[in-house]
Amino acid sequence: MNFKIDRIILIIFLGITAALAFLPNFVESEYLLRLITVVIFWIGIAGCWNMMSGYTGYIDFGPVVYFGIGSYVVAIAMTKYGIPFFPSLFISGLISGSVAFLVGIPTLRLKGAYFAIATFAFAEAMKQIALEFDRTFSVSFFQGSDGITLPISGHDNSFFFYCVLPVTFLVVLAHYYIEHSKFGYGLKAIKEAETAAEISGVNTTANKLGAYVSSAFFLGLFGAIEAYWITYITPSDVFNVQKTVQMVIMTLLGGMGTFLGPVVGATFLTLISESLGARFVEYYLIMIGGIIIVAILIMPNGIIGSLKIRKKLRFI
Amino acid sequence: MYTVFVQTIINGLLLGGVYAAYSAGFSLIFGVMGVVNLAHGELIMLGAFTSYWLFAYFNLDPYLSAPFAMILLFLFGYVVQKYIINRVIGQPHIMSYILTFGLHLMIANIAIKMWTQDFRSITTSYSGANAAIWGLNIPLARLVTFMVALLVTWVLWFFLMRTETGRAIRATAQDKEVARLMGVDIRNIYAITFGLGAAITGLSGSVMSPFVIISPEMGLEYTIIAFCVVVLGGMGYMPGALVGGLVLGVAQSLAATYLNAGVSVAITFIILFIMLVICPKGILGKGSVA
Repeated sequence: MNFKIDRIILIIFLGITAALAFLPNFVESEYLLRLITVVIFWIGIAGCWNMMSGYTGYIDFGPVVYFGIGSYVVAIAMTKYGIPFFPSLFISGLISGSVAFLVGIPTLRLKGAYFAIATFAFAEAMKQIALEFDRTFSVSFFQGSDGITLPISGHDNSFFFYCVLPVTFLVVLAHYYIEHSKFGYGLKAIKEAETAAEISGVNTTANKLGAYVSSAFFLGLFGAIEAYWITYITPSDVFNVQKTVQMVIMTLLGGMGTFLGPVVGATFLTLISESLGARFVEYYLIMIGGIIIVAILIMPNGIIGSLKIRKKLRFI
Repeated sequence: MYTVFVQTIINGLLLGGVYAAYSAGFSLIFGVMGVVNLAHGELIMLGAFTSYWLFAYFNLDPYLSAPFAMILLFLFGYVVQKYIINRVIGQPHIMSYILTFGLHLMIANIAIKMWTQDFRSITTSYSGANAAIWGLNIPLARLVTFMVALLVTWVLWFFLMRTETGRAIRATAQDKEVARLMGVDIRNIYAITFGLGAAITGLSGSVMSPFVIISPEMGLEYTIIAFCVVVLGGMGYMPGALVGGLVLGVAQSLAATYLNAGVSVAITFIILFIMLVICPKGILGKGSVA
């Protein structure tokens, strides 16, 4: 029964993705195309956070660091070394993933609030290093608060739509893999009871590290794409803690540790901020604060999580 | 050369005293309830604004308005804990982070709506006053704040150790189920603890107001520093906030003098990260580890 529902959802998902691939041919309005790209972009980013924190229960408060590393790697590779975009994109993902591997080994031993604070500290430290490195060592590498201007791409919005779509597709597919593999069951076991999982033979360290590194890899890709899209990056922008907050809130609204959680949460919040943000600029952040508080108090499991409990379904 | 070094250390200690003053409440709240209060900086902001408005309208000296800030913030903290945060106690910790982050957004942005984003400051007769001894400068207002930090730590310690409510708070922190069986009203104790934490934080905001820039958006920065201070000293261990504050203050001051000011922020976070990885119990090894 559950297996069947999952299959159906996967087929629907594949269908939607396939349909989306033809979207730029039909959408006339550049604004609409851009909005859809932004929604897909955030689904992917929130998904990256969900992959790690949603499933393992290890709350990462510094995922933006891998996004920022991705942006900087692509910027430096393109401007300083003249590497074209797609190879640079790939390098960004690899470097983000490798940094996550090195940082993950000591950090993932920490639990609860300590892990959250350590990841947060790491992200802030990287931001400050990117800001101050050049001035301290008198070189021109990160270009500090001046930021880096990437080569203007000359591509239109549909180019970036086609960059973002496959990456988000892979992220959501990775969720499906997590839901249906030994690796994923391991992650869920870590969330429920880490010691018990370890005793039962789950290699908890390898599982956590695997989730952390793959989440960082995808975040690196997203960071690189955004840098090329915006063409101008500064440390305060790409390492902005607001991005972390947004990922967390989106996932939480949708439902942590669920397959559809980030999809629903990111779509909901992006559309809300697009409609309310423009109309009630002054009250927007107050309302977001209120939405967060109310959501936590009345449905702590998120939209999808609450649905699952109410319908007693084990799907997604 | 020698004078510069001593001056740097003094500046660091005084800065650390300020850090300690506003981090004690953060540590108390975490230690008892396991809540990482991301709206901590907003409590400082509200304390500072209480002093600001009393100064602006009644010309009341910030040190005299500090008790008002304390009472106001106690009530605020009590109500927030009782009606909002208490509902997520016992759920995964992430809920309390997100909830207090929601509070942070609401309080800061309502404050912007009410008081605008302007930077404000309180200029008293002693705002820029320095005591000059042996060629060293000691800013008086900071010295007073340092004294307040010492006093707050001591009074809080005394309160937790020697009073009935203090014992109930410590019992709740150690094991809330057993405390409940012994007749402690957990929800009330939580509300009192949060109120107490908010009160000393408001007090620190108030005594800092003569020498800091006051604006509705000031909070987040302070929350982050409080984080670092409390982790360095050991989370939930009260005197730890004092030690952590002083260590961080001196480290930042040395980095700012001998490297540059931006690097000192980077160093803060690097110290924090290394500290957490190597010794999450804090410098004194007495913090609680989740």
